[in-house]
Amino acid sequence: MWKKKLATVVSLVTVFSVVLAGCGGSKDEGSSASGGDKKDKPYQLVWYQIGDPQKDTNKVVEKINEYTKEKINATVDLKMIGFGDYSKKMQVITASGEPYDIAFTSSWANDYLQNVSKGAFVELDDLLDSKGQGIVKALDPKFIEGAKVNGKIYGIPTNKEVATQRVFRFNKQFVDKYKLDISNVSSLESLEPILKTFKEKEGYAPLWGDKNTSPYLAYDFITEKLPMAIPFDSTDYKVVNFLDQPDTMKTFETLHKYYKAGYLPADIATSTNSDYQKNGKWLVDMADSQPYADLTWSRSAGYDIESKAAGDAIATNTSVLGSMMAISSTSENPEKAMEFLNLLNTDPYLRNLVDMGIEGTHYKKNADGTVTDLPAAKDYDMPSFALGNEFILNLYDNDPKDKWEQFKKFNTDAKSSPLLGFHFDPSKVQTEMAALKNVSDEYMPALMTGTVDPKDYIAKANQKFKAAGLDTVMAEVQKQIDEWKAAQGK
Amino acid sequence: MAKARTLNQPSRASNTILNVIAAVFSIACVFPFLFVIIISFTNEKALSRDGYRIIPKEWSLEAYRYIFKTGDQLLRSFGITVLITVVGALLSLVLISHFAYAISRSSFRYRNFFSFIAIFTMLFNGGMVPSYIINTRMLHLKDTLWALILPLAVNAFYIMIMRTFYRTTVPDAIVEAGKIDGAGELRVFYSVVLPISLPGLATIGLFSTLGYWNDWFNALLYIDNPNLVPLQALLMRIENSMQFLVTNSALSGSGQGMALLSTLPQDSARMAMVVLATVPIVLAYPFFQRFFISGLTVGAVKG
Repeated sequence: MWKKKLATVVSLVTVFSVVLAGCGGSKDEGSSASGGDKKDKPYQLVWYQIGDPQKDTNKVVEKINEYTKEKINATVDLKMIGFGDYSKKMQVITASGEPYDIAFTSSWANDYLQNVSKGAFVELDDLLDSKGQGIVKALDPKFIEGAKVNGKIYGIPTNKEVATQRVFRFNKQFVDKYKLDISNVSSLESLEPILKTFKEKEGYAPLWGDKNTSPYLAYDFITEKLPMAIPFDSTDYKVVNFLDQPDTMKTFETLHKYYKAGYLPADIATSTNSDYQKNGKWLVDMADSQPYADLTWSRSAGYDIESKAAGDAIATNTSVLGSMMAISSTSENPEKAMEFLNLLNTDPYLRNLVDMGIEGTHYKKNADGTVTDLPAAKDYDMPSFALGNEFILNLYDNDPKDKWEQFKKFNTDAKSSPLLGFHFDPSKVQTEMAALKNVSDEYMPALMTGTVDPKDYIAKANQKFKAAGLDTVMAEVQKQIDEWKAAQGK
Repeated sequence: MAKARTLNQPSRASNTILNVIAAVFSIACVFPFLFVIIISFTNEKALSRDGYRIIPKEWSLEAYRYIFKTGDQLLRSFGITVLITVVGALLSLVLISHFAYAISRSSFRYRNFFSFIAIFTMLFNGGMVPSYIINTRMLHLKDTLWALILPLAVNAFYIMIMRTFYRTTVPDAIVEAGKIDGAGELRVFYSVVLPISLPGLATIGLFSTLGYWNDWFNALLYIDNPNLVPLQALLMRIENSMQFLVTNSALSGSGQGMALLSTLPQDSARMAMVVLATVPIVLAYPFFQRFFISGLTVGAVKG
């Protein structure tokens, strides 16, 4: 009998020794993150950041810590998580209540509004007043306005372009080859003669895109691609179905005309690849622009790209919430986190260190103050736009000298959407929203790419949207907008 | 050749048809992988110009050169994967074979209780967030290799397979014979039961090797340190990032998105990574197959 027991005991010991070994390995790490409430011991900030992990991150973080320890008596533990994994991983971390201090958040990854409604982020108004004055001074007021949820701010927007501007991009080699006149291009309609020439000479479609392409419509969408919107020039804050509007009809009809004429690729409504940029067989497409975007586009495409505005530069909720940092409600020391964020957004040394790495290792400084990448830069390649105030970054040797001035000007000149700072809370109409989304997925790509005749297709789409509960949702949106407007005193 | 067929031999016509079906099916299985290999050897420029072709116009080793040049991350991940696969598969063999043997023996009083514990986890599990909390907050497995090994070490389904295997191939008579010869429980298990259970062990071993080799989700949850990322997780990350940037029009339309895309490996390089990740495990099959066959020929009780 005892032998049988012995067998069990041996097996159990095997199991437990393994488990214990697992415990022992990382115990010290776990406790150091939570310690440090004493004044003299530096507090370690756990910082989750979007972007693929880099080889030299540890090296750079060591340098960062040297500096921050001295400045604000804190160190950081920077954890990079790849673009595709970030939202998934942050969801688990938030749901498990794992303590961390700072995290990247935005409208497209680790969703800001959802996290705010879950209570995952600390409300920052008081902290900004006490520890974050530098941030407030650096940011365009439109950022702060747009980041507010019910009048309170929960995340610090990155200081970059506050607005987006719809543009037509032109492949310069064809513009030059056929001496096309693009100086008068300002709308979809005005493209026609150029498209015609190109189609006749080259024989394939000039205007490119994929199924996510949409023409410029002067509306601020409550939710992307659902037919609820407010015109940018609205003064009465009335939500409309943009599909019913005459200007939308005109745009769709033009697109459909182009599609029938073969100016658009035949499979555009289902296509998901953007290979046309790689092989250079295109003339025009549509994109969101910012100052000196032509330069960036040309550089990454490897040939010249020129753009022409299709609409005004407008600060919308989406453009403002493009990149932010928030402090977790599980943070043990939100003040320190705010001090660090303030330093990151105002101190050029720290900001450049985080962004470009170590001077002399990853980049070198030139005589005129610009910087050049060294070969090791590929071991520390960070998503610049996600790391805080861009306007204190070093300029690269091939950047225009007035790059940040142009950005500041762009931001000051940008118009605000009437809805800036209004965030629709869909929790009461979730079923309808899901149904609407399905209808949208079915009908919108065909409409937005001109593949179908809008005259009867819009009616069909509207019928489906109505059946899916569009009117209910629209009433709810209008109610929330009215409440928000009253609270804002507009 | 005599014309006469034995009873079990199919007719010539049906034999041909069956062979054709089998051939078509195996081509359908193998072809995608061959195609991946071909794409990995295709010139990237030719790929974007002509699309995917079975016989590309320009061959190129550029993708592999790219991987091995930027590749100490890849090699390290490869090492991590091999390490967790070997350690993990051995560990799970040890745990599963012992556990299953205990609950397979009718003389073990609590076998029903322990079987229930195992089966319960097949039907109900805690879900992602609770297991995350246990593994990170209680066991402190975050950012350790154990986080990749332990969650997969014991699998209730494999325990059931193994238990059934012991029940059917290890007769009580053989255990009793061992005992009469003076061996204790452990001695019986190690010297008598395990050797005749090799086919079962090989099956479980193969399953868990595959499980460890292909696992990326645990790495996604528990590993932040880039030095500990296994190969599949690395591939998934590249694939996910790519997918994300391409489908996220708000980001990919901007200059930043395009700059990011250009830093990610191109199509051919991704295919090369798939080849590098798959080939070793494909080569492991014949090795295991040897065990399957030899295991079947081992007789236990001579009739």
